[in-house]
Amino acid sequence: MRIPIILFLAMLLASCQSDSGPAAGGPNTLVVATAANVQFAMADMEKAFEARTDFEIDAVVSSTGKLTAQIRQGAPYDLLIAANRKYPESLIASGDARGPVQTYALGSLVLWTTRDLPVGLGMSLLDELGPGDKIAVANPENAPYGTESIRALRARGQFDRLQSQLIYGESIAQTNQYIVSGAAAVGFTAKSVVLSPNVEGNGQWITVPENLYEPIKQGVVATNYGMENHPEAVQAFLEFLFSAEGQTIFRDYGYTVPIGD
Amino acid sequence: MDYFPDAFWQTLGLTVRLAATTTIILLVVGIPLGWYLASARHRLKPVFEALVSMPLVLPPTVLGFYLLLAFSAESSFGSWLNSTFNIQLVFTFSGLVVGSIIYSLPFMVQPIQSGFESLPAHLAEASYTLGKSRWTTLTRILLPNIRASVLSGLVLSFAHTIGEFGVVLMIGGNIPGKTRVASIAIYDEVEGLNYGLAGEYAGVLVIFSFLILLVIYSVNARKPRLL
Repeated sequence: MRIPIILFLAMLLASCQSDSGPAAGGPNTLVVATAANVQFAMADMEKAFEARTDFEIDAVVSSTGKLTAQIRQGAPYDLLIAANRKYPESLIASGDARGPVQTYALGSLVLWTTRDLPVGLGMSLLDELGPGDKIAVANPENAPYGTESIRALRARGQFDRLQSQLIYGESIAQTNQYIVSGAAAVGFTAKSVVLSPNVEGNGQWITVPENLYEPIKQGVVATNYGMENHPEAVQAFLEFLFSAEGQTIFRDYGYTVPIGD
Repeated sequence: MDYFPDAFWQTLGLTVRLAATTTIILLVVGIPLGWYLASARHRLKPVFEALVSMPLVLPPTVLGFYLLLAFSAESSFGSWLNSTFNIQLVFTFSGLVVGSIIYSLPFMVQPIQSGFESLPAHLAEASYTLGKSRWTTLTRILLPNIRASVLSGLVLSFAHTIGEFGVVLMIGGNIPGKTRVASIAIYDEVEGLNYGLAGEYAGVLVIFSFLILLVIYSVNARKPRLL
């Protein structure tokens, strides 16, 4: 009986001291707080940027609202790549980031389903659903894509009738779960999601007409933490985002790229 | 690229390091605390017992929420820690260790306490009568007799910390190599629709949990009344 305890303790001690692999957060590593809808484009962006420079990127993915709250609490994120402009602007107002907020891409909404539904009908597809069929939307409180999905439903006069069928994902990422798993018959998500290699060919999607909602201007801002700790890397990454190469990646993922802001 | 990306091993390594650090600190804290609770006849004993067991019933998000408030640079405690010791507990590995210690406390203290309680009182009394100090009595007489309970506390605390999610989610911030542990990585990969990688993390945890329980029950078979 004595042996297992001593053995176990020795193993514990050994693993306490062990380094957990490659050093993280070194001077050349940028931690980029990334809105959930951008994560797929970010994966390509990371590869391209790391190939061109000596800097490394670690993406932390969540909803823009949560990432903003974490930055306010002192999270060591160098940049916020947000799903709108409101949150990065609020970081400047609270003194946690240094302006300006730059719009790096405009996002589009799509309706996505993994069921055999007539997507050719566009938004009218929603009128064909049975009363038990659920429609997934990102939480309009803290996910900009959710806010605009609701706006589109209202613009079409469908909101009041369909309200009881809506289910809310905490971010666009959880909304995707509802759609992919089939828990929701159909859902609103970002075009960048359905164009990502992870889900290519999974189900069918159709774009939501752009006159039904406000363009989703996605802003990026450098945090105070980033400007103080990794100013060169932050600058290099911002330049890359707006370079022809960076903007092409965004375009590949279905974003419209800004023509000056 | 290898079949498993570096990030996979980095995350698992970090998870084990967090659990190991937490378990060792808990052992140091848990033995005196368990001994005290087992021998205390104090009127306030139920209060201490309730406090120690709170993390069992509290939603981890509640614990995480309070820790976030306490550790935040805007709170008086957080800013005091930061200015006095230059320690930041929110979004750091040290913060996760502190959170995990509180979160897994009952898993260490309860088996040790019941181990001490199961020993007949005359065992310690005989030792004192023979002139042995409290320290000698504890280390030479009592602890060797509750080895199984200590092992059980060690294994359970370790396993429970590996499986921690809510507290880490609230105070960790999901930073690769610093605060992204396996359970968070699963959540993250599922969110990113990477079901393959999520499945691999999940598979590792399933096998690990089974092995841990296998150890406990094998030891149990040799000496009953461990769990």
